[in-house]
Amino acid sequence: MAIGVGSSEESLEMKGDMTPMIDVVFQLLIFFMLTIKFKLLEGKLSAYLPKDVGVNQTQAEPKEKVEIKLKVEREGSKLMPDDSGKPWEGEGAFKFGPDRVIRYSVGPKSSLEMREIVARVKELYKIDPKGSVTIDPLPGTCYSDVVKILDEVILIGYTDVSFIGDKSALYEKK
Amino acid sequence: MNLAKKQSNDEIVMDMTPMIDIVFQLIIFFMLLMDMSQKDLETLVLPKALSAVEDKPNPLDPRPVINILADGQILVKREVYYDPKRDDGYKKLKEYLLMRSRAMPKAPVEPGSSIIAPDKPILVRADQSTPFKHIQKVMEICGIQDIKIWKIELAAGQEKPAEGAAAGGN
Repeated sequence: MAIGVGSSEESLEMKGDMTPMIDVVFQLLIFFMLTIKFKLLEGKLSAYLPKDVGVNQTQAEPKEKVEIKLKVEREGSKLMPDDSGKPWEGEGAFKFGPDRVIRYSVGPKSSLEMREIVARVKELYKIDPKGSVTIDPLPGTCYSDVVKILDEVILIGYTDVSFIGDKSALYEKK
Repeated sequence: MNLAKKQSNDEIVMDMTPMIDIVFQLIIFFMLLMDMSQKDLETLVLPKALSAVEDKPNPLDPRPVINILADGQILVKREVYYDPKRDDGYKKLKEYLLMRSRAMPKAPVEPGSSIIAPDKPILVRADQSTPFKHIQKVMEICGIQDIKIWKIELAAGQEKPAEGAAAGGN
């Protein structure tokens, strides 16, 4: 920046020292670059809590419900949550390996293959599209097990999906 | 000799303006990208779901977001509300949900029903490996007579339709 004073040869030059400002600006830039967390692509699945427990004190209407039970047959190996396939180091989050086995049951039908149960639920949906589904995750199941079956149920077309409460205490007594 | 002296007196002036412009642009970019509402969301590995609909929270009407870590620790807005290592019977979480439930608009559970309950959902976010019993415990607290929150949303990562078409086979 230069400001000329008059037309004389002696001109007063004002030079702003930009160095501190550039330092601060770079500090800010580094701060934002390090703290930035990009928005996660996140979705949601809607569900309801049982209306005949807690909320509703009156007797629930006798309604035909599709009840899907989830039982862990084999816990499976624990792997690091990134898709590296490395075994879990024993601290923090993990994911279960492909050797995890879940038994799914709908009424008398029981299978280790989720697609067989999904096919049965589809048949039940064709019979009663306005029906509701209850998911009963038995102790040992984890969030991803439940989301997997909930996803399939919603894809079939059910909109009324609820959950059965925790039965850990019952299983511990046994 | 004179020539050398003249050269040493010459000042090389670098024009910093374009660089400062670019740096400011970068700062503005990062500031805009840094969504402050993300403080509700803990860093979790969510399971993926094809039917997951995009979550568009209303910043003017924030809903309760419950984060459950793989070890069962419950966090709300980065604050620990329940730690399995220091079991307090979910006291803090119950108080929080009670407070939020009271502030929610109420409506009949079903058309024509005499049961009035909060008409807004809560969002439950859990790590993919979180034992489901911890989520069930939160659901149980939601069902307490004074809280009565019965609508819940479970967070899931959005699966790309192409991947799903190959895996789902529907």
